[in-house]
Amino acid sequence: MTTTLPRPTAAPATASTLAEPVISMVDVGVTYPNGKVALADVSVAIAPGEYVFLVGASGAGKTTFIRLLIRDQLPTSGRVVVAGKDLLKLRRGQVPKLRRRIGIVFQDFRLLPNKTAYENVAFALEVTGASSATVRRRVPQLLNLVGLHEHDHHLPTQLSGGEQQRVAIARALVHDPAILIADEPTGNLDPVTSWEIIQLLIQINELGTTVLMATHNQEIVNAMRRRVLALEHGTLVRDEAGAAYEREY
Amino acid sequence: MPFVRFVGFSVIRAWQGFWRNAMMSLAATATVVLMLVLLAGLFVVLSGMDSGLKFIESKVAVTARLRDNLSTTDRDALLAYARSLPGVRQVTYVSPEMAMERLRQAYADRGQKLETGGAKISLYASIEVALIGPSHAGSVSDALLDPAHRSQVAQITTKQSEYDKLVGIINVIRTVGIIALVLVGLTVLFMIVNTIRIAVYARAGEIEIMRLVGASDSFIRWPFILEGILCGLIGAIVAVVMLAIVWEPIQPILVSVFQMPTAVSRQFLATLSALLFAVGLGVGAIGSWISVRSNLAAVI
Ligand SMILES: Nc1ncnc2c1ncn2[C@@H]1O[C@H](COP(=O)(O)OP(=O)(O)OP(=O)(O)O)[C@@H](O)[C@H]1O
Ligand SMILES: [Mg+2]
Repeated sequence: MTTTLPRPTAAPATASTLAEPVISMVDVGVTYPNGKVALADVSVAIAPGEYVFLVGASGAGKTTFIRLLIRDQLPTSGRVVVAGKDLLKLRRGQVPKLRRRIGIVFQDFRLLPNKTAYENVAFALEVTGASSATVRRRVPQLLNLVGLHEHDHHLPTQLSGGEQQRVAIARALVHDPAILIADEPTGNLDPVTSWEIIQLLIQINELGTTVLMATHNQEIVNAMRRRVLALEHGTLVRDEAGAAYEREY
Repeated sequence: MPFVRFVGFSVIRAWQGFWRNAMMSLAATATVVLMLVLLAGLFVVLSGMDSGLKFIESKVAVTARLRDNLSTTDRDALLAYARSLPGVRQVTYVSPEMAMERLRQAYADRGQKLETGGAKISLYASIEVALIGPSHAGSVSDALLDPAHRSQVAQITTKQSEYDKLVGIINVIRTVGIIALVLVGLTVLFMIVNTIRIAVYARAGEIEIMRLVGASDSFIRWPFILEGILCGLIGAIVAVVMLAIVWEPIQPILVSVFQMPTAVSRQFLATLSALLFAVGLGVGAIGSWISVRSNLAAVI
């Protein structure tokens, strides 16, 4: 699978050429009902296990890109395939199943304010019909994984921003998703905490989960040297492995 | 097992939702009670009146009081004439002695003894004309009062006007009752739709998370529908308990005033309770269904 974009100097995104992509978009366009073109002719393939940054100025279309993947909206044109499912052909009743294959976290954490850390994670299992035995087994595991087992009885207001984002990540992982999507996960965090969250995402990626992270954080993207997808006014202007936040040539 | 968990989850969420906005839920439940009490009242009164009507219907007969000293031949001719009239089911001759016996019996039924004070009272002879339907009372009366029989028939009595009056009253009560019921029913729907709307908005954050983590539509939808049904269920329980409490004093009234023997049976109470439950649950389900349909889409 190759993209239609000219491949620049940096190393090619070899991973995407090896395995069946876990995410693929072909000539995707999104035009909002008000006429706003949020994405145009986007083609991209992401292989299982990749760690990909999605960058671009505010309004470039990053969130729209992400909403397509979780089938929060459908493309106006083109094809989106996620975890083997062609989203345009996916029946409504199958959407929840797709979403269990994808974990998602946001800049604003979106924890339920009246539930503790434990309850927030447990909620994601309960509402998908998990048994209480599964909840009791799984929630501590996940809180452990994100390093929060000592805070399980704390409400979101009693947790720092970084801790809240860890809870959100634990919640995103309840169904062992193939893909973890993060829309500016460090946007509300200080640099040190941001790095801690990135470390956690790397750890999760190393356990085999594909990670797609939309971000404005130049420092992190530059330090990590991973694959970078750059959007500009809805167009994919750069798809480069081991890249920096800005074009370097 | 998964289905049992789904039901358990939905019921618990519905219960929590009900008490989360208790004021609103209880207000909606109160309107359900009001509606069901009205419905029960209407049902009881209409059933009573209907059976009263049936009772009178069976009694709508034309009674012709005969003139004194009518010859046997004339009497038999009159009986034959009455039998030949259209709409007549049966004609019975009631002699003065039989009339006296009936009167005595009527007193005895009430636990009294007929006291004549030693005076010898004598009653009139009459013929009782049973009809196939109350609508024939007029024509039969007229036929018995025609000039050819004037010398034999002293007076005609019939329960026709009583019957007509009762039919009129029943129709008015039924119409007014149904209009009131529909108005209250709409209020109930409005209350439940609003209660569930508020519940949906109160849970908007949770619904968003549910969608993101892949909860199926039924997990999102059913707790709200059950919450509406819960308003109906609690309303029905309250209404049925109230009915059970007032039933003892009401029952004899139904029997004596409305001539309603069915009121004594458990069956009647069971039917009425089932009706209240069905209507309570139904209105709860419909209200919450409408609300979920229109409000869930706005949240998700
Ligand atoms: N529902 C919508 N209706 C109309 N236009 C929209 C809608 N959602 C987004 N847009 C527009 O589409 C464009 C892309 O928006 P998007 O949210 O994808 O940007 P973004 O890259 O995530 O920006 P940010 O970095 O600020 O989060 C923007 O111009 C935005 O105003
Ligand atoms: Mg965005």
